[in-house]
Amino acid sequence: MTLEEVRLAAADNLWSAIAPELILASLALVLLVLEMVLPKRHHGLIPDIASAGILGTLLGLFLNWHPVTLGTETFSGLLQHSVTGQVMRAFFLLAALFTCLLARITLARQPMPRVEFYHVLLVVTAAMMLLVQANHFLMLFVALETLTIGLYILVSYLRTTTASLEAGLKYLVMGALSSGLLLFGIVLLYGVTGNPALPLHSGNAMHYEELGLFLTGNPDNFLASLGIVLVLAGVAFKIGAFPFQVWVPDVYQGAPTPVTAFLAVASKGAGFAVLLALCGPQGPFTPYAWLVMPILTAMAGATILFGNIAALTQHNVKRLIGLSGVAHAGFLLLGVVAAAGSPMAVGAVYFYLFAYLLASFAVFGVMAHVAGTDDAGQELDHYAGLSRQSPFLATVLAVGLGSLAGIPPLAGFMGKLFVFIAAFQAGARWLLLIAAAGVVVSIYYYFGWIKAAFFDAWTPPAETTAPAKPAGTPVGWVAGLSLGTLALASIVLGFYQGPLGQWLMLW
Amino acid sequence: MLTPDLNSYLLISVLLFAIGLAGVLIRRNTLVVFMCLELMLVAATLALVAFSRFNGTMDGNVFVFFILTVAAAEVAVGLAIIVALFRRRMTIQVDELNTLKN
Repeated sequence: MTLEEVRLAAADNLWSAIAPELILASLALVLLVLEMVLPKRHHGLIPDIASAGILGTLLGLFLNWHPVTLGTETFSGLLQHSVTGQVMRAFFLLAALFTCLLARITLARQPMPRVEFYHVLLVVTAAMMLLVQANHFLMLFVALETLTIGLYILVSYLRTTTASLEAGLKYLVMGALSSGLLLFGIVLLYGVTGNPALPLHSGNAMHYEELGLFLTGNPDNFLASLGIVLVLAGVAFKIGAFPFQVWVPDVYQGAPTPVTAFLAVASKGAGFAVLLALCGPQGPFTPYAWLVMPILTAMAGATILFGNIAALTQHNVKRLIGLSGVAHAGFLLLGVVAAAGSPMAVGAVYFYLFAYLLASFAVFGVMAHVAGTDDAGQELDHYAGLSRQSPFLATVLAVGLGSLAGIPPLAGFMGKLFVFIAAFQAGARWLLLIAAAGVVVSIYYYFGWIKAAFFDAWTPPAETTAPAKPAGTPVGWVAGLSLGTLALASIVLGFYQGPLGQWLMLW
Repeated sequence: MLTPDLNSYLLISVLLFAIGLAGVLIRRNTLVVFMCLELMLVAATLALVAFSRFNGTMDGNVFVFFILTVAAAEVAVGLAIIVALFRRRMTIQVDELNTLKN
């Protein structure tokens, strides 16, 4: 490589294009420095600084919504900046912001150092933001591993409790397994795309576009098919789709509540963004739709059925929300399947993700307030009488759960409606039938939870003294304001999709 | 002199990968499971280097450095979790780690 080539390659590294990620990563380092420099009595400021930094990055992102790099590739094709990338950046920043909020409530009850939590959270968020803009398998792998390893730490963060550590170990084994499958898939695709004996082979085999071109020229290569199946399996692990959902209930239960929320929302969002980048309308896997679509269709149907049926029998609310999250992954997969035949499907998936974010964080916010020191043992029974003790929390819970269940006119209903319309346009009738059945089942367990919070007077007075309910945390004004905003946003987004709908090109 | 061709390398790599995968699914000791996970990464690395050499492209070799770094980070975090868990439970057998049950 001559000096001139090095200069050209360096000129392509537009650092300003990844300014939000750089800010988050620097902020993460600043937090660690602050922990050393600040006197101990001021350490309470650090979570505030982290939240303020995320909020500032989010505002900066909105102010510079159309950067000059939009629509171009930077870093020698490693990254591609698109409107979708901007939307998902905002999505992850919002998720991180609400996770910070939950962490302040939950970690306050645990004898744990706090600073590292925010540090790792910021790094993971930056990795997710890079992941959704990846245009090259190298970038995909490195970003995915950065976020996964960060999540191992976060899941096992309450290291004095066995539940959190066990959840961490299970997540570690499952995550590493899925990384192995994904990596082997990438390697096979790389090897076959670079093979000089095949037509349209490429010297830049890990670039999405080059790979897509090669696959168009070789529509039935065995090694390429195997590679695609392995990559899909790796991504399916991350989103918790059937049959790779085994880790979900245990990890969701054991992880600290803010991390469970982050896993459910942000990690799932990242997985679906990757899936859409690979299998979506312009993705490199499109020439292999004969292989990809049947797999995704079967996966979507099985995921919806499994998630909803398994959630029916749960009494632990974290397991319940985990398994219902599996069902939501199934509905989102339905949208991905529909993307082949409907122009609005991609937008519908992103809208669903936003509705899911609002509703989930509303519910997790209530869970963080109701839970006691035993973070893994949050039972449905603890919600008895919530409407009397705290009408505000009970209302937020009802709105959040209603939106998750898809009750009109909440945002979750619109999300499901858009996905179902897209699936109808794409002609996935059988899958729609399964999805509709899934929605009905989901209403049963979501309303069981709402019933526990509101209608305790209807249950006969328990003779056996139930294990004492945890004391819970009173609602602070920041948390109250945020939860109120989340609930209100879930309602408003159901009536008026406005600018969000325009970004997502729903119409 | 007999030089191995691409298929020999791939065969070894697939074998290593299969051994690793089987180990993760079958073995009950967390440390052995962890070693098997690393074996899967190494198998992918071997295939990557072989492809890189026979295709005449360098990015495979560069990718290997990233994989090694990631594997090292994973081991650091993983062993820390296993040690912390062992201190609390005095066991790392997969069957006995059953706190999280419905």
